[in-house]
Amino acid sequence: MTRKEFLLGIDELLGLPAGTLRGNEKLEELKNWDSTSLISVIAMIDSSGVRISPRQIVGCSTVADLLQLAQVETEPA
Amino acid sequence: MTQLRFALTADTKTFQFEIPKALRTPLDVPAILRKRQSLRTELLKQPNLMPARVAILGGSTTAEVRSMLDLFLLAQGIKAEFYESGYNRYSEDVALENPDLWKFKPDIVFIHTGWQNVSQFPEILESEEQVETRVRSEMKRFESMWEKIHSALGAVIVQNNFDLPPLRPLGNLDASAAFGHSNFLLRLNAEFAKYARSHSRFFVNDILYLSAQVGLEAWSDPIYWYNFHMAVSPTASVALAQNVAAIVKSVYGKSKKCLVLDLDNTLWGGIIGDDGVQNLILGRDHPVGEAFVNFQHYVKDLQKRGVILAVCSKNDPENAREGFSHPDSVLKLEDFSAFRANWESKPESLRAIASELNIGLDSMVFVDDNPAERALVAEQLPEVAVPEIGADVAYFAQIIEREHYFEVSQIVPDDLARSEYYKSNLQRNISLSEVGNYDDFLASLAMSAEIAAFSPVYFERITQLINKTNQFNLTTKRLTSAEVESAASDPDCLTLYGRLADRFGDNGLVTALIGRVSGDALEVNVWVMSCRVFQREMEFAMFDALVEECQARGLRTIVGVYIPSKKNAIVADFYRSLGFTPVESSPQDRRLWKLAIQRDFSARSRFIRRTAATSLPQASAPVATSSRALETS
Repeated sequence: MTRKEFLLGIDELLGLPAGTLRGNEKLEELKNWDSTSLISVIAMIDSSGVRISPRQIVGCSTVADLLQLAQVETEPA
Repeated sequence: MTQLRFALTADTKTFQFEIPKALRTPLDVPAILRKRQSLRTELLKQPNLMPARVAILGGSTTAEVRSMLDLFLLAQGIKAEFYESGYNRYSEDVALENPDLWKFKPDIVFIHTGWQNVSQFPEILESEEQVETRVRSEMKRFESMWEKIHSALGAVIVQNNFDLPPLRPLGNLDASAAFGHSNFLLRLNAEFAKYARSHSRFFVNDILYLSAQVGLEAWSDPIYWYNFHMAVSPTASVALAQNVAAIVKSVYGKSKKCLVLDLDNTLWGGIIGDDGVQNLILGRDHPVGEAFVNFQHYVKDLQKRGVILAVCSKNDPENAREGFSHPDSVLKLEDFSAFRANWESKPESLRAIASELNIGLDSMVFVDDNPAERALVAEQLPEVAVPEIGADVAYFAQIIEREHYFEVSQIVPDDLARSEYYKSNLQRNISLSEVGNYDDFLASLAMSAEIAAFSPVYFERITQLINKTNQFNLTTKRLTSAEVESAASDPDCLTLYGRLADRFGDNGLVTALIGRVSGDALEVNVWVMSCRVFQREMEFAMFDALVEECQARGLRTIVGVYIPSKKNAIVADFYRSLGFTPVESSPQDRRLWKLAIQRDFSARSRFIRRTAATSLPQASAPVATSSRALETS
């Protein structure tokens, strides 16, 4: 999964307009971020083939942390 | 005399809305988990969602279950508002009467508990008697909670039974030893089931089955327990929510009524018109033939418990009928209440079947092996449920089952006779075409009605009728059986049910009304009648009984209430047809109609003879209907 795809995925699961998230946002400041979003993020990362545990995701505080956890491919600028 | 003429439902296209694919079998669980927000937004676009207040009392955390239940209830047309107890506060919330819960006034209380919430498992080597004492004590704890919910909150309860723990310290002995945990949980499940059998507003959410279906390893995950105190994994929460939503749907009478089946390669292998009956693939001597036999058995089982069957096939009618003469055909022609074998389009035939059976298109499930036919029906008749059954008969039943179309909260004798009613309706229609004049036809039916106050033997059926009826339903109020019981015993309430029989058969209990006395007036808040008896003047017979009962009670006015809904437009002018006048000041969304009761009231019903209900078990509730109303006329 690319960085862009991942960010669009998070936009969708939080019900935000596509392109809202840039990567530097704090999770707790995001609209609709709650315990069920954690589950949705795990499901999204899981379906990209990267296995993560809830314990890892609980430790994330920014979207950048999630990007790192999801091992997204960086796109050329 | 003015006579009500009802528009048949078949061509009333209610709305164009298709449930998102991710939420239909096979469920796309990762997509549901990822896209819950957008799915919810999409589902909220449906018109006329039915509101419900659902309290989730959890023995574990409930946020994930709530989120999924929200989606699956929306997929059933129910928009729920939720209350969630704190983690593991399920019994405290009830015992200590949490004011937030009491203020919330739930319609449904879902108690999401599991094996983790058993307070005392048996110790090793405890005797049968000691274990039995523990069962009693555990049951007492749950029963006191359920009884308080029923008595103080008046809510319907959906209670998980027990799943099995993933670990078995006793190994296989866990299932057989009296003190084994698995054995203990199964005994508790039997007690929960027993309680459900004697309490009509209590439903078991069978997580023992669900966890087996999902697989115990996938059902729960210790990581989710330790991090979030989730008893059920996110994947399994989807199945759990779908199951609970099915129960809630059935409580609200939103289950489907009719299974419409294609024939060739759906009920048997091969094309009857080309291959002939002798060459059909049907029978236990062939792997595919056996699968068709078993699918027919499944369909027959549905029919036996009250699902109406219909055939919709592109075939020569003679050929189509001949298929059922195959010696291995489990289904027989007489199992079907409607039979359309012709060369018309399937949407046309489905409309005709809906019209013939006088049921809504949204009560129908259409099963066809041909994806093109399925797509055409799904596109042209979005109200009809069209499961993606695929092409392999081995999976047909499983796919239909997983959609929970025909979930029922109870089965009453009337359900079992339903196919008979519809079949005799068919004979009545034939009779009408022979007689020609409608009044002559009604006279020829030799109808008789039993109209009386609600009696305990009918509480379940009356509740079911009130909750299932959409068309002839003046207010679309849904009631629990406790509310029905309470109306029956309330001296300020007037209740009437009606059974109708004719020369073709017994239609069963088909209509009910409830009114409340206020001063010298009666306000009729509930009046429903099954579509089975539209255009039979049964509503007039009920009206006559209503007026007689009001006269007997010394009442002078009847106030009729009409609340418009998506489906009850056919009764918008019902009260006018009975001679009521509209109360001009009443709001559009709750129209009131008034009738001053005349001393010299003359009966409206012309063709229905009234019979007494003397052979019934006596009601424990006061009998509201006067002896006059029971006289034969």
